[in-house]
Amino acid sequence: MNDIAAGLGPAVQGNRPRTAARVGIGGPVGSGKTALLEQLIPRFLARGTDIAVITNDIATKEDAERVRRSGLIAPERVLAVETGACPHSAIREDPTLNMQSADELDRRFPGLELILIESGGDNLASSFSLDLVDYWLFVIDVAGGDDIPRKRGLGVLSCDLLVINKTDLAPYTRTDLPRMRREADEVRGGRPVLLTNCATGEGVDAVVETIAREVLFDGR
Amino acid sequence: MAELDATLAALQLGDSFFPSGANAFSWGLETLRNERLLDRAGLEAFVAGQLEHRWAHFDRPALLAAWEAGDHLESVYAIDRLVDAATLAREAREGARRLGAALLKVHEELRTPQAALYREAVAAGEAPGNLAVVQGWAGRAFGLGREAVVALSAHQLVTGLVSAALRLGVLGHVDAQRVLLGRRAQIAALAARPAPPVEEIASSAPMAEIAMMRHETGSGRLFAS
Repeated sequence: MNDIAAGLGPAVQGNRPRTAARVGIGGPVGSGKTALLEQLIPRFLARGTDIAVITNDIATKEDAERVRRSGLIAPERVLAVETGACPHSAIREDPTLNMQSADELDRRFPGLELILIESGGDNLASSFSLDLVDYWLFVIDVAGGDDIPRKRGLGVLSCDLLVINKTDLAPYTRTDLPRMRREADEVRGGRPVLLTNCATGEGVDAVVETIAREVLFDGR
Repeated sequence: MAELDATLAALQLGDSFFPSGANAFSWGLETLRNERLLDRAGLEAFVAGQLEHRWAHFDRPALLAAWEAGDHLESVYAIDRLVDAATLAREAREGARRLGAALLKVHEELRTPQAALYREAVAAGEAPGNLAVVQGWAGRAFGLGREAVVALSAHQLVTGLVSAALRLGVLGHVDAQRVLLGRRAQIAALAARPAPPVEEIASSAPMAEIAMMRHETGSGRLFAS
């Protein structure tokens, strides 16, 4: 662990006071953001990380309900934010209500270490405001087309960690997974890319380790 | 130069690029749309009604009183409590608080004088942080004159409604501008009337209020009101 980082604790970027680290999870509709969340929550809880979740639903509070009902996390630790049909804007140009919700979670749960903010599904051009999050993931999937990395979408290029999900579907969708992976590495200039199958949890441990190392500054 | 600076300040605050959180609120329009009670003509009537029956006698006197109170924060807090108490529908009250809090936070981060103090008062429960009041108070602290805060408030009310209606599929993007253009004369006429004293603020927009009350328990919501 980096000593300086350890001394500073999480969430030292920007001008926010010291609060829980905020990690965004963005990506197109149906790529598996909620499924990833469902795999991440028990793993963070098992590591003893104090977490909460914010979902940004496009049309309903369904994702928040799904996370609440999963029994994985106390329901009061899951907040849903309406975006007024602007999921894109709610995490970038005007993340006001997401920031209010995150502040609210910080107030309600002293000792909170990590807030996962799941964006409403959007297109490849979505990205997070760095005033809202300290770190963000972009989730794409093999069934969405293996040409996605080479389209060089803003989300794919600028996220801190790119997750390529549904690797198990590659044979059925005529996806050349090794090439997709190689092209993702190329367009991202070597910044992290991880492969997952959130239906089974395969590859998710590596996502947890990356977040823990990069954001929680803790290599447990 | 001072005038240009004030115009730039108003443009900055009135721009939809300014992070206000307002995008997430439809103030009853979502419910009316879902219940098939809102069409293009109805929208125009709704907007005109909000201006005439709420804004002119409620938001406008509140924000003018807050503007007048200036750096006398205790008076601003008293106005704030009054306006909050006079807002009937829960979503309207909580929405105005959330947006007021958001506006105060941005002003604190922009180092608008005393914004940090006001935020502390809201955190301590001394003031609710209602949007109209914060808008009038912070507008002055940010360099806006009386007329500019009135224009800003009316503009944001109308733009917020029309923009929500556009996203709800009630009208198209150019038609949305026609509605804004059409309301300018009404806003000017209403603004020319003397504002009632803040103790006499009054609002009568039952359709919007009932719609917001119904929205609280509605499912499939895109908007926070």
